Amino acid sequence: MLGLLFILFAGMAVGCAISMVAQRNPLYSAISLIGVFISLACLYVTLAAPFIAAVQVIVYAGAIMVLVVFVIMLLNVEEEERGPMRLRSLVPIAVGLATVLFAETVFIIRFVATSPATPVANISDIGQTASIGAGLFTTYLLPFEVTSILLLMAVVGAITLARRGGLIAAKVAVVPGHASYARETLNPAAYPDLTEVNADNSREAAALLGVADGTPPRDHE
Amino acid sequence: MAPQLSWYLALSAVLFTIGVVGVMIKRNVISMFMCIELMLNAVNLTFVAFSSFFRDVTGQLFVFIVMTVAAAEAAVGLGIIIAIFRSRESLDVDDASTLKL
Repeated sequence: MLGLLFILFAGMAVGCAISMVAQRNPLYSAISLIGVFISLACLYVTLAAPFIAAVQVIVYAGAIMVLVVFVIMLLNVEEEERGPMRLRSLVPIAVGLATVLFAETVFIIRFVATSPATPVANISDIGQTASIGAGLFTTYLLPFEVTSILLLMAVVGAITLARRGGLIAAKVAVVPGHASYARETLNPAAYPDLTEVNADNSREAAALLGVADGTPPRDHE
Repeated sequence: MAPQLSWYLALSAVLFTIGVVGVMIKRNVISMFMCIELMLNAVNLTFVAFSSFFRDVTGQLFVFIVMTVAAAEAAVGLGIIIAIFRSRESLDVDDASTLKL
Protein backbone atom coordinates (compact mmCIF):
# COMPACT_ATOMS: atom_id res chain seq x y z
CA MET A 1 0.00 0.00 0.00
CA LEU A 2 2.71 2.45 0.98
CA GLY A 3 4.67 1.32 -2.05
CA LEU A 4 1.75 2.16 -4.35
CA LEU A 5 1.38 5.55 -2.69
CA PHE A 6 5.09 6.18 -3.11
CA ILE A 7 4.95 5.32 -6.80
CA LEU A 8 1.90 7.54 -7.29
CA PHE A 9 3.32 10.60 -5.55
CA ALA A 10 6.84 10.11 -6.85
CA GLY A 11 5.44 9.94 -10.36
CA MET A 12 3.44 13.10 -9.73
CA ALA A 13 6.51 14.88 -8.35
CA VAL A 14 8.78 13.89 -11.23
CA GLY A 15 6.11 14.66 -13.81
CA CYS A 16 5.43 18.09 -12.36
CA ALA A 17 9.18 18.79 -12.10
CA ILE A 18 9.77 17.89 -15.75
CA SER A 19 6.75 19.97 -16.72
CA MET A 20 8.19 22.87 -14.73
CA VAL A 21 11.46 22.77 -16.62
CA ALA A 22 9.77 22.20 -19.97
CA GLN A 23 7.27 25.07 -19.67
CA ARG A 24 8.36 28.34 -21.20
CA ASN A 25 5.76 30.47 -19.48
CA PRO A 26 7.00 31.17 -15.92
CA LEU A 27 3.45 31.16 -14.57
CA TYR A 28 2.86 27.60 -15.75
CA SER A 29 6.26 26.68 -14.30
CA ALA A 30 5.16 28.08 -10.95
CA ILE A 31 1.94 26.07 -10.98
CA SER A 32 3.87 22.91 -11.84
CA LEU A 33 6.24 23.64 -8.97
CA ILE A 34 3.26 23.87 -6.62
CA GLY A 35 2.33 20.38 -7.85
CA VAL A 36 5.81 19.17 -6.91
CA PHE A 37 5.44 20.69 -3.44
CA ILE A 38 2.06 19.07 -2.86
CA SER A 39 3.37 15.68 -3.99
CA LEU A 40 6.35 16.01 -1.68
CA ALA A 41 4.02 16.89 1.20
CA CYS A 42 2.10 13.67 0.53
CA LEU A 43 5.41 11.76 0.55
CA TYR A 44 6.26 13.33 3.90
CA VAL A 45 2.99 12.00 5.26
CA THR A 46 3.92 8.50 4.09
CA LEU A 47 7.24 9.00 5.90
CA ALA A 48 5.36 9.67 9.16
CA ALA A 49 6.29 13.36 9.23
CA PRO A 50 2.94 15.17 9.41
CA PHE A 51 4.35 18.41 10.83
CA ILE A 52 6.83 18.84 8.00
CA ALA A 53 4.08 17.95 5.51
CA ALA A 54 1.84 20.68 6.89
CA VAL A 55 4.67 23.23 6.93
CA GLN A 56 5.54 22.24 3.37
CA VAL A 57 2.04 23.05 2.18
CA ILE A 58 1.69 26.22 4.25
CA VAL A 59 5.14 27.76 3.78
CA TYR A 60 6.23 26.48 0.40
CA ALA A 61 3.05 25.99 -1.58
CA GLY A 62 1.37 28.83 0.30
CA ALA A 63 3.70 31.66 1.17
CA ILE A 64 6.73 31.29 -1.10
CA MET A 65 4.87 30.35 -4.26
CA VAL A 66 2.31 33.10 -3.73
CA LEU A 67 5.23 35.51 -3.55
CA VAL A 68 6.72 34.09 -6.75
CA VAL A 69 3.40 34.19 -8.61
CA PHE A 70 2.85 37.73 -7.35
CA VAL A 71 6.20 38.84 -8.75
CA ILE A 72 5.54 37.06 -12.05
CA MET A 73 2.27 38.92 -12.42
CA LEU A 74 3.74 42.20 -11.18
CA LEU A 75 6.53 42.11 -13.75
CA ASN A 76 4.18 40.85 -16.47
CA VAL A 77 6.61 38.25 -17.69
CA GLU A 78 5.96 36.94 -21.17
CA GLU A 79 7.12 33.65 -22.54
CA GLU A 80 10.80 33.35 -23.12
CA GLU A 81 11.62 33.96 -26.72
CA ARG A 82 13.89 31.40 -28.22
CA GLY A 83 16.75 33.52 -29.41
CA PRO A 84 20.21 32.46 -30.46
CA MET A 85 21.80 30.61 -27.59
CA ARG A 86 24.81 32.19 -25.98
CA LEU A 87 27.57 30.25 -24.25
CA ARG A 88 26.96 27.23 -26.46
CA SER A 89 30.35 25.90 -25.44
CA LEU A 90 28.96 25.15 -21.98
CA VAL A 91 26.56 22.47 -23.27
CA PRO A 92 29.10 19.59 -23.32
CA ILE A 93 30.33 20.67 -19.88
CA ALA A 94 26.75 20.55 -18.63
CA VAL A 95 26.26 17.07 -20.04
CA GLY A 96 29.52 15.93 -18.45
CA LEU A 97 28.62 17.35 -15.05
CA ALA A 98 25.17 15.77 -15.23
CA THR A 99 26.79 12.41 -15.96
CA VAL A 100 29.09 12.78 -12.96
CA LEU A 101 26.15 13.75 -10.75
CA PHE A 102 24.13 10.80 -11.97
CA ALA A 103 27.03 8.40 -11.36
CA GLU A 104 27.42 9.78 -7.86
CA THR A 105 23.77 9.27 -7.05
CA VAL A 106 23.82 5.72 -8.43
CA PHE A 107 26.83 4.99 -6.24
CA ILE A 108 25.15 6.41 -3.15
CA ILE A 109 21.90 4.59 -3.79
CA ARG A 110 23.70 1.27 -4.29
CA PHE A 111 25.67 1.92 -1.12
CA VAL A 112 22.51 2.65 0.85
CA ALA A 113 20.61 -0.29 -0.64
CA THR A 114 23.29 -2.76 0.43
CA SER A 115 23.59 -1.37 3.95
CA PRO A 116 21.35 -2.84 6.66
CA ALA A 117 18.07 -0.93 6.45
CA THR A 118 16.06 0.15 9.42
CA PRO A 119 12.32 -0.22 8.96
CA VAL A 120 10.00 2.74 9.37
CA ALA A 121 8.85 3.23 12.92
CA ASN A 122 5.35 1.91 13.40
CA ILE A 123 4.32 4.03 16.33
CA SER A 124 6.71 6.76 17.27
CA ASP A 125 6.60 10.40 18.22
CA ILE A 126 9.28 11.27 15.66
CA GLY A 127 7.77 13.81 13.33
CA GLN A 128 5.04 14.92 15.67
CA THR A 129 4.90 18.62 16.45
CA ALA A 130 5.82 18.08 20.10
CA SER A 131 9.08 16.25 19.43
CA ILE A 132 10.08 18.77 16.78
CA GLY A 133 9.35 21.65 19.14
CA ALA A 134 11.28 19.97 21.96
CA GLY A 135 14.31 19.50 19.74
CA LEU A 136 14.07 22.99 18.35
CA PHE A 137 14.00 24.68 21.75
CA THR A 138 16.56 22.53 23.57
CA THR A 139 19.34 20.98 21.52
CA TYR A 140 19.04 23.24 18.51
CA LEU A 141 18.17 26.51 20.21
CA LEU A 142 21.16 28.37 18.75
CA PRO A 143 20.38 27.52 15.09
CA PHE A 144 16.79 28.49 15.80
CA GLU A 145 17.80 31.93 17.09
CA VAL A 146 20.27 32.42 14.24
CA THR A 147 17.40 31.64 11.87
CA SER A 148 15.37 34.46 13.39
CA ILE A 149 18.24 36.88 12.77
CA LEU A 150 18.41 35.59 9.20
CA LEU A 151 14.71 36.32 8.73
CA LEU A 152 15.17 39.85 10.11
CA MET A 153 18.03 40.43 7.67
CA ALA A 154 15.87 39.12 4.84
CA VAL A 155 13.08 41.54 5.72
CA VAL A 156 15.43 44.52 5.83
CA GLY A 157 17.20 43.43 2.65
CA ALA A 158 13.98 42.87 0.72
CA ILE A 159 12.65 46.31 1.67
CA THR A 160 15.96 47.98 0.81
CA LEU A 161 16.13 46.26 -2.55
CA ALA A 162 12.55 46.66 -3.61
CA ARG A 163 11.73 50.19 -2.53
CA ARG A 164 11.89 52.85 -5.15
CA GLY A 165 12.91 56.47 -5.26
CA GLY A 166 13.79 58.77 -2.43
CA LEU A 167 12.08 59.56 0.81
CA ILE A 168 9.09 61.22 -0.80
CA ALA A 169 7.29 58.75 -2.97
CA ALA A 170 4.83 60.73 -5.05
CA LYS A 171 2.85 63.93 -5.35
CA VAL A 172 5.69 66.38 -5.19
CA ALA A 173 5.15 70.11 -5.12
CA VAL A 174 7.88 72.47 -6.21
CA VAL A 175 8.40 76.03 -5.10
CA PRO A 176 10.45 77.72 -7.81
CA GLY A 177 13.66 79.23 -6.60
CA HIS A 178 13.51 77.44 -3.31
CA ALA A 179 13.27 73.70 -3.26
CA SER A 180 10.84 70.84 -3.76
CA TYR A 181 8.56 69.56 -1.02
CA ALA A 182 5.89 66.95 -0.72
CA ARG A 183 2.46 68.27 -1.50
CA GLU A 184 1.13 67.21 1.87
CA THR A 185 3.70 69.22 3.78
CA LEU A 186 2.96 72.55 2.15
CA ASN A 187 0.30 75.14 2.73
CA PRO A 188 -0.55 76.25 -0.82
CA ALA A 189 -1.77 79.67 0.36
CA ALA A 190 1.63 80.51 1.76
CA TYR A 191 3.32 80.23 -1.62
CA PRO A 192 1.63 82.27 -4.34
CA ASP A 193 4.11 81.05 -6.96
CA LEU A 194 3.58 77.41 -6.16
CA THR A 195 3.99 75.11 -9.13
CA GLU A 196 2.84 71.55 -9.02
CA VAL A 197 4.51 68.88 -11.08
CA ASN A 198 3.85 65.20 -11.37
CA ALA A 199 6.93 63.22 -10.48
CA ASP A 200 7.73 60.13 -8.57
CA ASN A 201 10.18 61.81 -6.24
CA SER A 202 11.44 65.22 -5.38
CA ARG A 203 14.65 64.85 -7.36
CA GLU A 204 12.73 64.22 -10.56
CA ALA A 205 10.45 67.14 -9.79
CA ALA A 206 13.41 69.45 -9.17
CA ALA A 207 15.00 68.31 -12.39
CA LEU A 208 11.81 69.05 -14.29
CA LEU A 209 11.76 72.65 -13.10
CA GLY A 210 15.48 73.21 -12.80
CA VAL A 211 15.61 74.10 -9.11
CA ALA A 212 17.61 72.81 -6.18
CA ASP A 213 16.48 69.57 -4.64
CA GLY A 214 15.14 70.07 -1.13
CA THR A 215 15.77 66.53 0.07
CA PRO A 216 19.12 65.56 1.55
CA PRO A 217 21.30 63.62 -0.86
CA ARG A 218 21.04 59.89 -0.53
CA ASP A 219 24.21 58.00 0.13
CA HIS A 220 23.38 55.37 -2.45
CA GLU A 221 21.41 55.16 -5.61
CA MET B 1 5.80 -3.71 -0.56
CA ALA B 2 6.99 -1.00 1.76
CA PRO B 3 9.17 1.69 0.19
CA GLN B 4 12.84 1.42 0.98
CA LEU B 5 15.15 4.26 1.91
CA SER B 6 16.88 3.98 -1.46
CA TRP B 7 13.58 4.72 -3.24
CA TYR B 8 13.32 8.08 -1.55
CA LEU B 9 16.98 8.82 -2.21
CA ALA B 10 16.52 7.95 -5.88
CA LEU B 11 13.50 10.23 -6.15
CA SER B 12 15.42 13.00 -4.43
CA ALA B 13 18.35 12.56 -6.82
CA VAL B 14 16.03 12.70 -9.81
CA LEU B 15 14.35 15.87 -8.54
CA PHE B 16 17.69 17.48 -7.76
CA THR B 17 19.01 16.62 -11.22
CA ILE B 18 15.91 18.11 -12.83
CA GLY B 19 16.51 21.26 -10.80
CA VAL B 20 20.15 21.45 -11.89
CA VAL B 21 19.17 20.96 -15.52
CA GLY B 22 16.56 23.68 -15.15
CA VAL B 23 19.07 26.16 -13.73
CA MET B 24 21.37 25.38 -16.64
CA ILE B 25 18.89 25.59 -19.50
CA LYS B 26 16.53 28.29 -18.23
CA ARG B 27 17.24 31.88 -19.16
CA ASN B 28 14.50 33.58 -17.19
CA VAL B 29 15.61 34.62 -13.70
CA ILE B 30 12.33 33.64 -12.09
CA SER B 31 12.39 30.18 -13.68
CA MET B 32 15.94 29.66 -12.45
CA PHE B 33 14.84 30.77 -9.01
CA MET B 34 12.06 28.16 -9.00
CA CYS B 35 14.54 25.47 -10.08
CA ILE B 36 16.67 26.38 -7.05
CA GLU B 37 13.58 25.92 -4.89
CA LEU B 38 13.12 22.49 -6.45
CA MET B 39 16.69 21.55 -5.51
CA LEU B 40 16.11 22.68 -1.93
CA ASN B 41 13.04 20.47 -1.81
CA ALA B 42 14.94 17.48 -3.14
CA VAL B 43 17.42 17.88 -0.29
CA ASN B 44 14.55 18.23 2.18
CA LEU B 45 13.20 14.90 0.99
CA THR B 46 16.49 13.17 1.85
CA PHE B 47 16.46 14.82 5.27
CA VAL B 48 12.95 13.62 6.04
CA ALA B 49 13.61 10.13 4.64
CA PHE B 50 16.75 9.66 6.75
CA SER B 51 14.99 11.11 9.77
CA SER B 52 12.11 8.70 9.40
CA PHE B 53 14.20 5.61 8.67
CA PHE B 54 16.75 6.23 11.41
CA ARG B 55 14.15 7.42 13.94
CA ASP B 56 15.97 10.65 14.64
CA VAL B 57 14.10 13.95 14.68
CA THR B 58 17.19 16.02 13.80
CA GLY B 59 16.61 15.69 10.08
CA GLN B 60 13.16 17.19 10.35
CA LEU B 61 14.50 20.07 12.44
CA PHE B 62 16.93 20.88 9.69
CA VAL B 63 14.16 20.69 7.12
CA PHE B 64 12.45 23.36 9.18
CA ILE B 65 15.56 25.53 9.08
CA VAL B 66 16.02 24.91 5.35
CA MET B 67 12.46 26.12 4.79
CA THR B 68 13.24 29.29 6.73
CA VAL B 69 16.32 29.87 4.61
CA ALA B 70 14.21 29.27 1.50
CA ALA B 71 11.68 31.85 2.64
CA ALA B 72 14.45 34.39 3.28
CA GLU B 73 15.97 33.55 -0.07
CA ALA B 74 12.61 34.06 -1.75
CA ALA B 75 12.17 37.50 -0.19
CA VAL B 76 15.66 38.76 -1.00
CA GLY B 77 15.87 37.00 -4.36
CA LEU B 78 12.58 38.40 -5.59
CA GLY B 79 13.67 41.86 -4.39
CA ILE B 80 16.82 41.52 -6.47
CA ILE B 81 14.76 40.31 -9.44
CA ILE B 82 12.50 43.36 -9.18
CA ALA B 83 15.56 45.66 -8.95
CA ILE B 84 17.11 44.01 -12.03
CA PHE B 85 13.85 44.30 -13.94
CA ARG B 86 13.59 48.01 -13.10
CA SER B 87 17.05 48.81 -14.32
CA ARG B 88 17.18 46.55 -17.37
CA GLU B 89 13.52 46.02 -18.36
CA SER B 90 14.33 42.36 -18.89
CA LEU B 91 14.49 39.15 -16.91
CA ASP B 92 16.92 37.38 -19.23
CA VAL B 93 20.05 36.41 -17.35
CA ASP B 94 22.13 37.09 -20.45
CA ASP B 95 21.18 40.76 -20.19
CA ALA B 96 22.37 40.96 -16.60
CA SER B 97 26.00 40.20 -17.37
CA THR B 98 27.41 43.02 -15.24
CA LEU B 99 26.91 43.33 -11.52
CA LYS B 100 26.47 47.11 -11.50
CA LEU B 101 22.84 48.10 -11.70
